Amino acid sequence: MSLKNFSELFVDLDSSNSTNNKIEVLKNYFLSNAPIDNSWAIYLLTGKSNKRFISGRYLKNLFSQIYEYPEWLINTCYLKVGDSAEVITLLLKNKSTTRKKKLSNISLNELLSKTIPDLSKLNEEEKNLQIKNIWETLPEDNHLIFNKILTGTFRVGVSIGLITKSISKLINIDEEIISHRLMGNFEPSIDSYEFLINKKINLQELNSKPFPFLLANTIEDKIFKNSINDFQFEWKYDGIRMQLIKRSGNVSLWTRGQELVNESFPELVMKMSNIKDDFVLDGELLVWNFKEKIALDFSLLQKRINRKSPTRSIQIKYPIIFIAYDLLEINGRDIREIKLENRRIELEKYFSKWQNRIENNISDIFKICDLIFPKDWPDVLTYKEKSRENNTEGLIIKKKTSIYSSGRKKGIWWKYKVDPMQLDAVLIYAKGGSGRRAGLYTDYSFALWKDKELIKFASAYSGLTNIEIKELDKWIRKNTIEKFGPVRSLKPEMVFEISFEKIQISKRHKSGIAVRFPRITKWRKDKKINDADSLENAYELMKKIS
Amino acid sequence: MRPKQEYLIRYKDGNLYCELADIWIDPSKPVKKALITHAHFDHFTFGCEEYISTKETAILLKERVGDNIKIKTFEYGEEFKINGINISFHPSGHILGSSQIRFIFAGEKWLISGDFKLQKDDTCKQYEIVKTDYLISECTFGLPIFKWVESKKIANDISKWITNSPEKTSLLFCYSLGKAQRLLNEISQTNFKGNIYSHGSIHKMNNSYKKLGIDIKDTIKIENKKKFDELKGSLILLPPSLSKGSYLKNFKNIQTAFASGWMSIRALRKRSGYDKGFPISDHADWDGILEVVKKSEAKNVFFHHGDSEAISKYLVEKESINVLFFGK
Repeated sequence: MSLKNFSELFVDLDSSNSTNNKIEVLKNYFLSNAPIDNSWAIYLLTGKSNKRFISGRYLKNLFSQIYEYPEWLINTCYLKVGDSAEVITLLLKNKSTTRKKKLSNISLNELLSKTIPDLSKLNEEEKNLQIKNIWETLPEDNHLIFNKILTGTFRVGVSIGLITKSISKLINIDEEIISHRLMGNFEPSIDSYEFLINKKINLQELNSKPFPFLLANTIEDKIFKNSINDFQFEWKYDGIRMQLIKRSGNVSLWTRGQELVNESFPELVMKMSNIKDDFVLDGELLVWNFKEKIALDFSLLQKRINRKSPTRSIQIKYPIIFIAYDLLEINGRDIREIKLENRRIELEKYFSKWQNRIENNISDIFKICDLIFPKDWPDVLTYKEKSRENNTEGLIIKKKTSIYSSGRKKGIWWKYKVDPMQLDAVLIYAKGGSGRRAGLYTDYSFALWKDKELIKFASAYSGLTNIEIKELDKWIRKNTIEKFGPVRSLKPEMVFEISFEKIQISKRHKSGIAVRFPRITKWRKDKKINDADSLENAYELMKKIS
Repeated sequence: MRPKQEYLIRYKDGNLYCELADIWIDPSKPVKKALITHAHFDHFTFGCEEYISTKETAILLKERVGDNIKIKTFEYGEEFKINGINISFHPSGHILGSSQIRFIFAGEKWLISGDFKLQKDDTCKQYEIVKTDYLISECTFGLPIFKWVESKKIANDISKWITNSPEKTSLLFCYSLGKAQRLLNEISQTNFKGNIYSHGSIHKMNNSYKKLGIDIKDTIKIENKKKFDELKGSLILLPPSLSKGSYLKNFKNIQTAFASGWMSIRALRKRSGYDKGFPISDHADWDGILEVVKKSEAKNVFFHHGDSEAISKYLVEKESINVLFFGK
């Protein structure tokens, strides 16, 4: 039951790209370790504990102090490795001669419930001494885990879904049930683990299960041959797709990723509990501007997703709405097999019933999606182009006669996304990446012309293939003009097509504009820097939109 | 300090060059006379009028590129003279036949480390400490985060990796010349007793090693364009160039790994796309480079290959060693 087992688990999970393999590894770990250690393992792997006991900087300084190691050297190493905990782990290997008697059989439980928490009770000097002592007594293979937990950076490619799957396999019970059990404040204890692997299912668990989601396909040309009247048109919102379930009085909010997110949106759960009927709704969760009746940026929604039990002020600052697209079950009756147009009628009927009961008071958090009624296909195009104005990504087109099946079934639902805006820009700065991209120049800044000067207008990190990243990295190293810490200014030579979703005036930027979701869509090797766009082109683009 | 053009050996067109002898070291373009430190392709170029190397390097090179090159060979430690300069090869421990090259002229000693390692490797001669005034050293792994573990431990990890997944075919990617033979030698001493296959390019080098008297475990040559159904539980050695692309479709139910010093860094391991990385290198780690710098007693050190900024600064600050830079 030692920490060694967990270190091995980490290595195994980290060195596998196969989901099945990871599930198998997890299952075996759970089978061969004590419930309390399993409980801690789940707690760590699901990222429930990201408490930072000391910062990465502190860790590096401490190492430098203890072993009289130049700080600049540690920082140079950091640029290559991209993670403080790992840098120190690697550097500690050079100190193996000073290692004392090994503390080989410390358990994961002991480390997490005693050794590490006890550090906070010490004064700085004692704490430093204790960390040094642990470094020198802990077997080398456990250093990474220890340093990562200490700095709150323990992460491995395991989603809560994977834990769910492995527990589900272990005890042979549906994943949705396990998901439900993993919800909430999972406190590491023997009891919480025993509860998780209990083979008896209670009624409430059964009632929370969502239906498999039906997904939209990318638009196909053949659809334009059909009559416009065969389809239902909706805006494509950029929020979180969800099923809102109320059965036997209990509300559950399920994301498409099979995550139960009740705790992040308690106001929605509370309001929907007031409704008398039971139901399953398919819809989208958004942060909403109630005055102008449009969705707010996804970035604001992100402020809500990862925050459990949000305070009242957070709830007011980022007001949410659930927009229902579809009704899948009503008062215990599964209606997925009836036609969409008829489900829509049911949805509208129940919505007006719920809305009209004043005591429900749901209008500030719940609505059904508005339909759009284009005259013909060219009109559809016009609507699509307008979607930027109301902060949507385009249109969703649904066949009126379709039933609600599961998955990305063809010929039922389509997404018709608005084209991104694009400008050709010149690469002028590059910065080293961190984490998985450490040691490579992967963060780029791009500029547009203003008279004869190149003015930075956007930074982008994504869009290049791994091969292109390597090629560009090589070029960057050869064409650096100056280095400022991790940033290099580059010879203006490379032109890239940058796509983005939104463009607006910004006083914070020298260029005077800000773009949303900038990404590289093409390396324009065919273009010289004089062919790149100017800031004027960008302003024109902005005018065209608004 | 002397002006750069007066150094016995300097950088010219991106290569090491000794003007007095009109001789190049591992040149990347055709020249009249080339000294070759070892038989890896990034140290060799076609079209030189004459090559000079150790006997083993010459044999390996001819195996790889054919007999159509003119190579003069010398034994380790044997001195030869070009334009009054005494030149000799000394074992560098990198791969079979690999060497450091020492120049002595007018009482001044220069040593080019070549690619080297200090770690134990039964498939080639151990690195020899050579005293010098000027040292030109590689520093591929010139950061203290690189600290090699015993190759025996890596071999045991590889053995465990294979035997823990008896249902899978284990593909281990490694350089065909040197690394593959070293791994074979180490793996044959572990608990793994299953079949080992090797790709044609590796198989060929295994045979060359055997001809040169190195004890290498027999492997089965893997034939191309065949469905390999019967390979579960066995180990297959492949060159890294085959890791991307359609070649892997020949196999069923595989796990992949890469044996390289770079695999000691998690970010590089993740990015490499292999399931697993085994950090084993034929280059010196940080401590190895420092040890060679000290034991060579060089008063002046140059670095090439790799990022040399950190190790240069460290030597100047901590060890008060004079680190010099070649102009480009």
